[in-house]
Amino acid sequence: MKPLIIRKLIVDEGNELFDAQGMKYVEFPSEFEGIRSFTAKVLEDCPERFLEGNLLEQQLSEIIKNGIKHGNGCDPRKRLRVWYDLRKRVRFIVEDEGPGFVDLDNWNDFFKRRQTALFNEDFDAFLALASWRGPRSDDSDGGNSLVAALEYWNGGMIYSARRNKVGVVRWFSHGSD
Amino acid sequence: MEVQLREVDATGFETLRILGECDLYNAQHLTRAALERLARGVTHLRIDMAGVSYLDSTGVGAIIRLVQSAKKMGRELRFSGISGTPRRVLVMSNIISIMKEDATPEAKK
Repeated sequence: MKPLIIRKLIVDEGNELFDAQGMKYVEFPSEFEGIRSFTAKVLEDCPERFLEGNLLEQQLSEIIKNGIKHGNGCDPRKRLRVWYDLRKRVRFIVEDEGPGFVDLDNWNDFFKRRQTALFNEDFDAFLALASWRGPRSDDSDGGNSLVAALEYWNGGMIYSARRNKVGVVRWFSHGSD
Repeated sequence: MEVQLREVDATGFETLRILGECDLYNAQHLTRAALERLARGVTHLRIDMAGVSYLDSTGVGAIIRLVQSAKKMGRELRFSGISGTPRRVLVMSNIISIMKEDATPEAKK
């Protein structure tokens, strides 16, 4: 039987994933309608081999959405700052001006219960826990983006001490340039 | 995204065919269309996702809500044609494990 391994969202201000040296930079207004076009803008020169169909676009879009909607509350006066490096692997730092992901510890507890139910094949319990619902969740929140993110960002997904900045990286098995 | 309704087939299922991108801007159309069919008394409903080119967490959330609703209402909800990136998203979020799928070649990709 495979062991139960539960990943966690980690806070680590000093993590190397927050080193923006050599990364490109762009910032966006916090407009909900722009989330997908902002994502496309960041990825417009991304090498094809990193795109994996539209999987990279989808995963980056979730981070940008979290910053614009949950971080900045879709306040267009607040900026979303994005650093990116698309050489050898894909790496991003996304920072908003909000209060930070205050429910991070609760989310980790939720994820532990969710994955334990799945591991135990308790599908009724899993179905009830399938979506994270935070205090401000609404119909445009699927409640599962961070679950997939922990799987997708295979080189790490780290939050800053204020929890309003996230650094992520994905490596690819076909290697570097 | 476009939602097309197909009448009951030989297997007894009514089918909603989803075409295009199922994302944060339009996933509610899928939720609304499927819940409307269930509310009208459809007991066997299939969501055909072969035409879905993009699926994000809001789309996955819509699927979760439909699975939860169908279970609560005692209805049979199945999915077909899940492939490519949408399938990878559903696998990464573990949601594929609670979706009843038709056995099609696409489902094995």
